[in-house]
Amino acid sequence: MRRYFLLAASLALLLALLFVAWYEKLHPKPVPLTPTLTGQVEYCLTCHSDLAQISNSHPVQTFGCVLCHSGEPLALDANLAHSTMRGGSNPSDFSVVQASCGSDKCHSGTPESYSNHIQRATTSIQATYAGAIANIMFTFGVQPDLTARLGIFSVQVPGSTSGITALAAFDPAQETNPYVKAFGQNCLTCHLSAQPMPGSVYFRFTGCAACHTPTQSADRTSTQQLQSSQIHKLTTSISYTQCDTCHNRGNYDLRSITFTPRQDLPIDRLHDYYQPIAQFTSCEWMLDCVDCHTRTEAMGDGNLYSSKLDIQYIQCKTCHGTLTELPQTRPLTDPNDLAFRLALINPVVDLKLGDTILVTGKNEPLWNTCVLPDGIYQLVGKATGEVFPFKPVMGSACTQNGTDQTSAYCHTCHSVTR
Amino acid sequence: MRPNFFHHLHPPTIPARQARLRYTLAAGGLAVFLGLVLLVTGLLEMLYYIPTPIMASASIQTLTFLVPYGGLVRNLHFWSAQFLVIVSIVHLFRVILTGSYAPPRRLNYLLGMGLLVLAVLLDFTGYVLRWDEGIHWALVTGTNLVKSIPLLGPSLYTLLVGGALPGPATLIRFYGWHIFGLTLAAGILVAWHIFRVRRDGGIAVPPPAFRLDHIRITRYELVRREVLAMLLAAIGLLLLSTFAPAPLAPAITANFPRVETARAPWFFLWVQQMLKLGNPFFWGVVVPLAVLLLLSLIPYIFPIAARPELGRWFPRGNRIAQVVSVFVLLGVLVLTVLALMPAS
Amino acid sequence: MNKNPEITRRDFLKLASKAVLTAAGLLGLGGLFRFLDTQTEPSPQTDFDLGLPAKYPLGSRTVLADVPALLVHSLGGFSALSLVCTHLGCTVESQVDGFACPCHGSRFDLKGNVSRGPAGKPLNSLKTAITSDGNLHLYTS
Repeated sequence: MRRYFLLAASLALLLALLFVAWYEKLHPKPVPLTPTLTGQVEYCLTCHSDLAQISNSHPVQTFGCVLCHSGEPLALDANLAHSTMRGGSNPSDFSVVQASCGSDKCHSGTPESYSNHIQRATTSIQATYAGAIANIMFTFGVQPDLTARLGIFSVQVPGSTSGITALAAFDPAQETNPYVKAFGQNCLTCHLSAQPMPGSVYFRFTGCAACHTPTQSADRTSTQQLQSSQIHKLTTSISYTQCDTCHNRGNYDLRSITFTPRQDLPIDRLHDYYQPIAQFTSCEWMLDCVDCHTRTEAMGDGNLYSSKLDIQYIQCKTCHGTLTELPQTRPLTDPNDLAFRLALINPVVDLKLGDTILVTGKNEPLWNTCVLPDGIYQLVGKATGEVFPFKPVMGSACTQNGTDQTSAYCHTCHSVTR
Repeated sequence: MRPNFFHHLHPPTIPARQARLRYTLAAGGLAVFLGLVLLVTGLLEMLYYIPTPIMASASIQTLTFLVPYGGLVRNLHFWSAQFLVIVSIVHLFRVILTGSYAPPRRLNYLLGMGLLVLAVLLDFTGYVLRWDEGIHWALVTGTNLVKSIPLLGPSLYTLLVGGALPGPATLIRFYGWHIFGLTLAAGILVAWHIFRVRRDGGIAVPPPAFRLDHIRITRYELVRREVLAMLLAAIGLLLLSTFAPAPLAPAITANFPRVETARAPWFFLWVQQMLKLGNPFFWGVVVPLAVLLLLSLIPYIFPIAARPELGRWFPRGNRIAQVVSVFVLLGVLVLTVLALMPAS
Repeated sequence: MNKNPEITRRDFLKLASKAVLTAAGLLGLGGLFRFLDTQTEPSPQTDFDLGLPAKYPLGSRTVLADVPALLVHSLGGFSALSLVCTHLGCTVESQVDGFACPCHGSRFDLKGNVSRGPAGKPLNSLKTAITSDGNLHLYTS
């Protein structure tokens, strides 16, 4: 009996080796990718080959995955591979955005090359929340005026033309005023670094992805479903629903420092866009927010401000003109015009050299508009692709007085009844 | 049959009673086998490993994930190394608890202690070669412990680290020690240790008059048993290496990631626990060396088992030594368990 | 047996050879020690250029990971605390009420004083200075 031990053990060794070989075959075959921008091989596609390319401007053959996401390029064990990813699953979170999206060749270049996105976004009102904070501090007597001194994080802009060159970090724990403390607890869920409130209607990412990685309402049944569906998209074609994850969600009560969500159950775009108390014209619900609100308005101009009123400047007259002036336009004669670059990223229009587009008071191109030969103007929805022809105010039956160009004035005649 | 080279390495016959598994625990033989596995898998790893701070972790990841059976080779190397340390300790305690270190085997006992120290140092230097965040603090504290030695400390530190701080020179020196310096020393000591076993009369046995029987097994039977043990150990190693991968962490970079607690490698957890008590030189150098010294001096300072008592477990003659050594082991085990518990 | 206490020539020569070889061995050991006890790496950086002081506004506490140190801008100016634990050299973690070392459990308060062992000495203070080019510099030695 004992003389067969050796044979049995040898057979067992052979079986063990065969088992090891079979087990090795179960492992997925590594899929290499050597992006042209890095020249370093990475193996993320071994497991993530079914993930959609994030955008046409960031082709995976050029960028790869590691350039933006970091992580361990050679590891095929999920925990190790993901352990050094920047910002978890969102490398555009402002805590890591400079490393992920920065560099002067990418999104932290100069204003002249139109590539200073990070510098603008991280100092914008939506990021610093300086307006809301300054308002509360002033309202409850903690600061003497509405000039912003605090932001969500401390930030410095030495050359800021607004006069505000630095904001210190707002720390609710250090504040003694009970209203300000309550504000810190209840009202800090809608700046670009904030985790949104629980609930599918509020779900969005942080950082650049808060706006540029849209979350469809169908995905928003729960955060877990959202995360498991791996939304991997960067776009400038942003629907109003994305803005509405923070805007038009309800009301804040200053006396109790609480938020009351809107209670209505909208059935269509008209009823969904704004909460029931709002007044708006037809283009303010038929178009998307991005069709009018410009890059500078949404992402700032790189200076620090105390209020959104200091950066928002688009008015009805920008597109429609007044009784005595036509809207400002610009013929596109320079092939390097910013309008062409913006149209390339979101090709809802086919802009050509020689076309004339509308421009804002700050000379920002409204690249999705154009002037048609017969004096008609046209806007194409950036998110919907719908075509909206319109006529200027000059020569129409409009009875405006000409001096008041605020939207509230136009609403008196043009507001929509829900 | 004519005996071959391996048969000739063994004595013609050995007493059957002392050849039993329940006596030797196959510990010494397993240690040799594990050492051979380490040499072979180590060589295979050398064909892929790059000993620079930038490439070390990346080359290990390449070997583990992208080379066919590379992960298996690495895991075999890792588990053989950890089991070598464990098996060496088992062998040490088998020798102490059977009183087998009695003269003329006292020198061989010291050679064995030297091999234990070399096994631990090889384990530590191999661990450092990962050059990832898992080993980062062990490297810093370990080298700083050397620096804490009065007078000689700073020179010994430079000798070990090759610079003012752990860096590329440290990695290449640890690599040199691991693949050659310590391996050469271990090879010499293994040869000498096994030679001394034969020279001292083979496995410790009582004089003929005191033996319960005179049954002996031949060198052929002995080699057969060793081959069986190696096959079973190989199967165990293969299965373990397939299902339990060796640890791997991201490479050391300038911006270190946050760690809640930094853990020493398992064989130094007892030292880490003691270091929580205060002075690094005392708790990190003096006490561990004192423990080592105590264990090494067991054949010299405690009563020895009488020759008729040899060849079996727990002889009466060296009870004190047995008790002291078990206490030391329990102490180290308790410290290890304490070190693993979450911080208060 | 010759009870003469003088040493035989053979034994003397043997002793002399052994003495000479020992001396040679010691010399070799000394040379080996000098061989090993050498730094080939350049000395580590001791002067860190932190950029414009405006990057670190009043009231800020900035962790500089590559030093490692904590830069504090208080009413008295700039000061810096080394984040190297004084016990065995691990980098301490910045926490709400001070610093914690992940290796053996040492705790320091916000000023760097030891609040719990096994470390015995407080965290080192590091010198800062603004140089002629207007940049803030940190010195680790």
